[in-house]
Amino acid sequence: MTRSRHLPSGAGCPAALLGLGGLATFALLLEVLPRAGVLPADYFPPASRIALALLDEFGQPAFREALGDTLLTWVTSLAIAVGAGIAVGVAIGSTPLVRDLTASTIEFLRPIPSVALIPGLIVLLGTGMESTLVIAVYASFWQVLVQVLYGVADVDPVARETAHSYRLKARHRIRYVVWPTTLPYVMTGIRLAAAVALILTITGELVIGTPGLGKKIDVAYSSGDVPSMYALIAVTGLIGVLANVVTRRAERWALVWHPSVRGESPA
Amino acid sequence: MIRRFTAVLAGAAMLLSAAACGAKETPPSTPGTPDKVTAGVVAIVDVAPIYLGKQKGFFTEQNIDLTLQTAQGGAAVVPAVAAGTYQFGFSNSISVLVAHTNGVPIKAIASGNGTTGNATADFSGLVVKDPAITSPKALVGKKVATNTLKNIVDTSIKELVKRDGGDPAAVSLVELAFPDMVGALDTNKVDAIFVVEPFLSAAKAKGWKVIGSFAALDPAMCVALYVTSQALAQSNPDLVARFTTAMKKSLAYAESHPDEVRAILGSYTQIAENVRQGMTLPKWPADINRASLDKLADLIVANGLTSKKPDVAAVVS
Amino acid sequence: MTSALRRAAVFFALPITLLAIWWFASAGSTDFLMPPLAKILEVFPETWSRHRLTHDVAPSLIRLAVGFAGALLIGIGAGVVIGSSRVVRLFAEPVLEFLRAIPPPALVPIFILVAGIDNVMKVLVIISGCVWPIVLNTVEGVRGADPVLAETCRSYRIGEMLRLRMFVLRSASPQIVTGARQALSIGIILMVISEMKAASEGLGFTIREFQTGYQFPQMWSGVLLLGLIGVVLSLLFRVAENRVLVWYHGQRAAARVSR
Repeated sequence: MTRSRHLPSGAGCPAALLGLGGLATFALLLEVLPRAGVLPADYFPPASRIALALLDEFGQPAFREALGDTLLTWVTSLAIAVGAGIAVGVAIGSTPLVRDLTASTIEFLRPIPSVALIPGLIVLLGTGMESTLVIAVYASFWQVLVQVLYGVADVDPVARETAHSYRLKARHRIRYVVWPTTLPYVMTGIRLAAAVALILTITGELVIGTPGLGKKIDVAYSSGDVPSMYALIAVTGLIGVLANVVTRRAERWALVWHPSVRGESPA
Repeated sequence: MIRRFTAVLAGAAMLLSAAACGAKETPPSTPGTPDKVTAGVVAIVDVAPIYLGKQKGFFTEQNIDLTLQTAQGGAAVVPAVAAGTYQFGFSNSISVLVAHTNGVPIKAIASGNGTTGNATADFSGLVVKDPAITSPKALVGKKVATNTLKNIVDTSIKELVKRDGGDPAAVSLVELAFPDMVGALDTNKVDAIFVVEPFLSAAKAKGWKVIGSFAALDPAMCVALYVTSQALAQSNPDLVARFTTAMKKSLAYAESHPDEVRAILGSYTQIAENVRQGMTLPKWPADINRASLDKLADLIVANGLTSKKPDVAAVVS
Repeated sequence: MTSALRRAAVFFALPITLLAIWWFASAGSTDFLMPPLAKILEVFPETWSRHRLTHDVAPSLIRLAVGFAGALLIGIGAGVVIGSSRVVRLFAEPVLEFLRAIPPPALVPIFILVAGIDNVMKVLVIISGCVWPIVLNTVEGVRGADPVLAETCRSYRIGEMLRLRMFVLRSASPQIVTGARQALSIGIILMVISEMKAASEGLGFTIREFQTGYQFPQMWSGVLLLGLIGVVLSLLFRVAENRVLVWYHGQRAAARVSR
């Protein structure tokens, strides 16, 4: 262990290159395992065949339409979940009594699997975007809310008391005391919520039949088109990778001052 | 403090109302303009006639503007039809009979699809890999895959075993989706599978043996039905009658034009071209086979799917 | 005494209010999908009989426990490794993000091929979803560790194992606990998803069976039971959390007292 903060190991190797290396290693593994017979190739085709099916999909307008549908549902659900999660979290978390009053209900509602809501949703809203949106918002909302609640609870008691002594207005207390401590938690919450919202968007499309990548996965699956199915699954994985890059950038930008980021910002 | 609390309540209310504010539009019946209706279907081979009929204009000529929405299973379609989210829907016969018996207000209006009449060349098949198993009776004590439990496939498997002289209770039925069955049998996760096309073709291509089918149970089994809600049947009998007319014409057309069926499958499924050409298609009788539904109703009670016997006459009347 | 009463009152106030609203709003409902709450509660005892509890609920909970424990081990282990080295983190992150974005229902067919259709497959499904919040939070916790303390450890040449146990895991533990809490509720969801395909018993399977059999009061009673299990597990988790993080809460309380 001769690591130094001033000369991070691997500094000469750009981050993106390392990440691509990781993905390439993973793809190689997926090529070798089916070919070596560890995974049955009939039902789990090697990566190269999945890649061919993927190229084929990219050429089709139906695929681009499905991709657009999925992205729209995902971004919309994430925006609603993050907005509502922060607002409700700060409101509940700032007052111990309200926090205590709602704790049991939150714990009750949170684990109710959004998949259990599906039959009701189809009846109420049909199989359009709204049903999938509700499921994605429902699941990702709790991710943000819980992180915000933890963040608000993590506010340094001394700082809180100080703000109290100086009789800061609620608005200012949130802005200058609660928010800086909560922000790292919020950013983690957004990153988690982005993934959860994506997973639930695809799952909703898969299980409900809302137009989008998930529905295409289901059609390929129920048609026995295995390579296309994995190609479409790979697309959802790639969206996940991109989402992480974007949320990481946002996190870095928002948390320049925090130790978790400070240690690594290039000088 | 109070203001903050109201904000919390408002947030929670917003979340809940998002789930509660379902808009259910009833189709407008303005003279002259076509009736806009939505039918809920499952993207499988069985519903090819409705896609074909829509393409051929059979619904337009009945002054119906038809939109098809796919759901993941018939079990999701039936409640949505009953609640009016879809005006019409497709589901398997046992689901329809069980739903009706449990108080879901629906009505069957047209036949969905039927068995081919040939026990060894049906669109469904009970398939085994082990050559030692030659008849359903030998499945006693074995693991057999069904797509869902307490539905048409497992009821058929049990009945096939029973008729062959075996004890259906001694068959270990496990749930497995149709697309996962061939792989599971190939890797010896189960001893037998009950599949439908296009997976039956894949199973046959492996050289495995078919020891039963829907058709073996009933040569003219009514496997699935098109349904509507009792409310719509009462409030707009004319629309329902016109839909039934278009549906019957679509079924008859599909029955007599298998090549066009195989072609249209390419539009809403991703079944490979060669599989589409080679697979066995179901029959599409234009009329509901009530005698077949009566037999299914008996099986439903015998297998304890419902406590009282489904009233077939009330479902199809 | 009064404080215990007060805590119970606070715990139950909102749920009871909401249940009362549900009770009165649904009373006399003839909608087949939304039966009156009275009806749901009436079928609850007969639906969740001793037989169902031992044959369906217990196996599900055992699979959840095994899956959650597995996710904790894998998640903390992977999180520490990834969080302590920049190179490993940059190398592994895209792959992890790729895998995480894949919806669990789409993974089920692969797990069936690899692990069959029994308990192992279902535990794998639970692990595959639970592990992410634990990994992510552990990584964040390890990265966010106080740099001054880290330097101190290094200056004093404190051994690797001791450093891991006394410093790295310690300072990351509040975040690890946050991750574990999220993993627990995701685990309950996955317990249900794992029984969506290839099941013949289990809580999730039974609820789905009621749904496809159009027994809606029974189905809703199952959803209620899931919620209750969520609350109980969360309470158990809080007890465990207070033990693990006793130093952290102590620090906070001390700071509060010494104002």
